[in-house]
Amino acid sequence: MDFSYETLVAISKSWGLFYMMGFFLCVCVYAFWPRNRKRFDHAKRSIIGQDDKPWQK
Amino acid sequence: MLANLTSSERQNAFAIAVLVTLAGVLMAAVGRTDTLGIQGVIVILFAGTISWYIMSSFYAPEPSEDRSASYYDDPIKIGILLSMGWAVFGMFMGVWVAAQLAWPNLAFDSGWSTFGRLRPTHTTGVIFGFGGNALIATSFHVVQRTSRARLAGQVSPWFVLLGYNLFCVLAVTGYLLGITQSKEYAEAEWYADLWLVLVWVTYFVLYIATIARRKEPHIYVANWYFMAFILVVAILHIVNNLAIPVSWGSAKSYTIWPGVQDAMVQWWYGHNAVAFFLTAGFLGMLYYYLPVRAQRPIFSYRLSILSFWGITFFYMWAGSHHLHYTALPHWVQTLGMTFSVMLLVPSWASAGNALLTLNGAWHRVRDDATLRFMMAAAVFYGLSTFEGSFMAIRPVNSLSHYTDWTVGHVHAGALGWVALITFGSLYTLVPSLWKKERMYSAALIEWHFWLAIAGTVIYVFAMWNSGIIQGLMWRTYTEEGVLAYSFLDSLVAMYPYYIARAFGGLLFLIGAVLACYNIWMTVRTVPDIARAADVPVVPSVVPGE
Amino acid sequence: MGDTFHRKLERSSILLTLGIIAAASVGGIVEIAPLFTIDETVEHAPDMRVYTPLELAGRNIYVREGCYACHSQMIRTLRDEVERYGPYSLAVESQYDRPMLWGSKRTGPDLARIGGKYSDFWHVAHLTNPRDVVPESNMPAYAFLNRSRLRMDDLSAHLAAQRTLGVPYTDEMIENAARDAYGQATPDTDFAAGVTERYGEATQVSAFDGVTTHVTEMDALVAYLQVLGRLTDAAYRNTAASELPPDPED
Repeated sequence: MDFSYETLVAISKSWGLFYMMGFFLCVCVYAFWPRNRKRFDHAKRSIIGQDDKPWQK
Repeated sequence: MLANLTSSERQNAFAIAVLVTLAGVLMAAVGRTDTLGIQGVIVILFAGTISWYIMSSFYAPEPSEDRSASYYDDPIKIGILLSMGWAVFGMFMGVWVAAQLAWPNLAFDSGWSTFGRLRPTHTTGVIFGFGGNALIATSFHVVQRTSRARLAGQVSPWFVLLGYNLFCVLAVTGYLLGITQSKEYAEAEWYADLWLVLVWVTYFVLYIATIARRKEPHIYVANWYFMAFILVVAILHIVNNLAIPVSWGSAKSYTIWPGVQDAMVQWWYGHNAVAFFLTAGFLGMLYYYLPVRAQRPIFSYRLSILSFWGITFFYMWAGSHHLHYTALPHWVQTLGMTFSVMLLVPSWASAGNALLTLNGAWHRVRDDATLRFMMAAAVFYGLSTFEGSFMAIRPVNSLSHYTDWTVGHVHAGALGWVALITFGSLYTLVPSLWKKERMYSAALIEWHFWLAIAGTVIYVFAMWNSGIIQGLMWRTYTEEGVLAYSFLDSLVAMYPYYIARAFGGLLFLIGAVLACYNIWMTVRTVPDIARAADVPVVPSVVPGE
Repeated sequence: MGDTFHRKLERSSILLTLGIIAAASVGGIVEIAPLFTIDETVEHAPDMRVYTPLELAGRNIYVREGCYACHSQMIRTLRDEVERYGPYSLAVESQYDRPMLWGSKRTGPDLARIGGKYSDFWHVAHLTNPRDVVPESNMPAYAFLNRSRLRMDDLSAHLAAQRTLGVPYTDEMIENAARDAYGQATPDTDFAAGVTERYGEATQVSAFDGVTTHVTEMDALVAYLQVLGRLTDAAYRNTAASELPPDPED
C-alpha cells in the first residue's frame, strides 16, 4: 500500500485526536474508579513513618 | 563497598570490569590513529582501576548476615557523592563559559578551551553528571523504600551507576578532544551511545525486577515517574542517536537523519530530554521526599496520577515548538504549540499538588531550609512550565527564539526546579542513609538556600532582560523602514547582562560547594543515631518457624 | 496463593510499562512519520550539489568546534530575518546535512547565507582573532586552525558513509576524495581541475588561508563557510513572501 503525505497527515490528525480522548477517558476511569480509592489512600500514607528495613515474610 | 558481595558476585564484578577494560584495549588499538584511541585509554584507566580495586579486596570477609533483611544502600551513597562531584564540575564549567561570553579572552590558545567545546561539558556535566547520578541514586532509594524490598541485584546496581559514569566521562573528555555529534544534549558519539544503551537496559531490568518484589499490589506513584524517566529516555536516546560510524576505528559518525527530519527528531529528543530526564525523574523525587520531609501525605494522590499521564502523553508532542517559522511543515509547528499550551494543565497540577501538600505546615517550611528547598523547587517548576507554554506560542516564540530568553527559561527550570529539588532531596536523604542524627550544619543549608535563590533570580532576570532586548533590537525598524540595529549593536547591548549572569551562576556554584562540604562533614563527623533502634526485628528467629 | 499474588504484581508493572510506551510513543509517531513521505516536506532542487570533500571536512570542523551553540543556520520566515540575512531557509537546503545545524541560539549572527558575503582573507583574519576585525566581538579565537594540518586520508571513508545514507556521491568522487580536498585549496594544479570537473564550475577553488604548501583546517572551514547557502539557488526562486512580525495592536 502506498501512503501519500496527505493521507498520513490526515490519519495522524484524526486518529491522533481519538487516541488522545480515549486515553484521557481510561486514565480518568482508573483514577476515579471507586474500588481504587482505598488502594490510593493506603499508598499515599504508606511512605510516611516507615521503619527502614525491607518487608520480610 | 565489596563487603556486601559474596565471592561469586565479586568474580562476576571482576569479570565485567575486565571485559570493559579489554573493550578499552580494543578501542585503543583500532582507533590508534584517531581520537577514538584516546577514548580507549580512558576506558582502560576507568575500568582498570575498578578491576584493580575488586582484586585488591577480593579475599575480604564475605557478608555474614542475611542481606535481604536490609536495604542495599552502598551504590546510593556512592551515587550521591558522584552527583555532588559532577555538580561542582558542571557548574564550574558553566561559570567559565558564562565568563567567556563576557570576557572572550578567558581561554587558552588551543581548541579544548574554546566556548564551543566547553559548553557541552557544562550541559552534560550538570544534566547527566549531576542530575543523572542524583536520579539513579534517589531512584534506587525510593524503589526500595516504597516497595519495601531490597534491590533485585548485587552487582547490577554497581554496573548501572559506574557504567553510567563511564558514559559521562567519555562524553565530557570527548568534547574537549573535539568528539561531538553537535546534537544538543546528545553530543556523545556512537560508541558512548551504544554503551549507554547497555547500561540503561540493565537499569530498567533492575528497576522493574525490584518493583516486582514489592509487598503491595499498588506501585507508589513516585516509581511511575522514575519508570517513565527510564523507559522514555531509552526510546529517545536510541532513536535520536541512530548513526553509522565513518569506520570502526573512527570516533566520528553520521546520523541517519538528514536535514529537516533530523531537526524534528533532534527537538523531539531535546524537548523530551527536558520532559523525562529533567521533569519526570525529578517529579519522582518530589513525590517521595517532599511528603517524607514534611511528614504529610501528598495532597491528592488521584491528581498525581492524572498529571502523570498528562505529562507522559502531552510532552511528546511539544518538541516542534523549537522549530517555529522554520522549514518544518506548518501543521507540525501548530501541533507542537497546541500541546505545549495544554501541557500547562498537568504541570500546574503537579506544582499545585506539591504546594497544597505543604498547606498547614508552613511553619515547618519557614524553619526548615531543606523543606524550603523543595517548596521553592515546586514554585519554580510552576513558573518555568508557565513560561515554557507561553514561549511555545508562535508570536511569542518569534521574539524569544534564538535569544537569551530561552537560556534564561532553561535555567529557571534547571537551577530553580531541578537543582533545588535535588538539594532538598539529598539533604533529606544523606542523614537517613548514613544513619546520622542530622546534617552537619543547618546554618550552611540556610546559606546554601539563599545563595541558590539569589543566584537563580539574578541569572534569570539578566537573561530575561538580555533576551527581550536582543529580540526587540533584531526586529526594530527605523521610520524609513530599514532595520534600525546591526547584529553587532545587539551584541554590544548584551555585555552587562552577561557579566550579571556569570555572577548569578557563581553564587549558585558557591552554594553547591557548601553543600559538598556539608555532606562530607555529615558523613565524617556527625554521630550515628543510636544503634538499638536500627537492629531489625527478624521474625524468623522466633522458635517454631 | 503466593504464586498468583506474585504474578499479579508483575502484571501491574508490565501494564504500567506498556501504558507509558502507549502514551509516550504516539506523539512522536504522529509528528515524525509523515515527514518521511518526503515530497511535501522537502522541495525539489535539481541544481543542488553535494559538499566537496574539503567543504565536508570543514563542516566536520564546524561540528567539532560546536559552532552551532552560537550560530544558527536557519533563517525564519519573518520579515526582519529575511532582510537581515537573506531569503528564508528551505528544507531542501539541508537535505544532505548530517547533522542539521539549524541551531537554537544566536550569540553570533545566522550563517545560513554567509557564503560569498566576505572574502576568504576576511574569514581567515576573523577566525584567527575575531577582535582584530570586529573589536566588540565575543567569539573565541580559532588561531589553532591555522596550525593544524587537515586530515585527508580518511575522507574517502567519510564520503562512502554519506553515500550509504543516501547522499549521491559517485564512485569517482569517493575515490578521489583526498585529491579533491587538496586540489580545492591549491588552485592552478592538476588536482584543482578535478574538483571543478566533479563538483561543477561554480565550485570555489582557492588558497583559502593564503598558503598553498599544505592544507590546514582553516582552509577547510573557510571553504565550508563560503559555500553556505550556495549549494542551490532554490531559495531565491518561487518563495512566498516573508511574514510580518506579529503586531501587538492586532
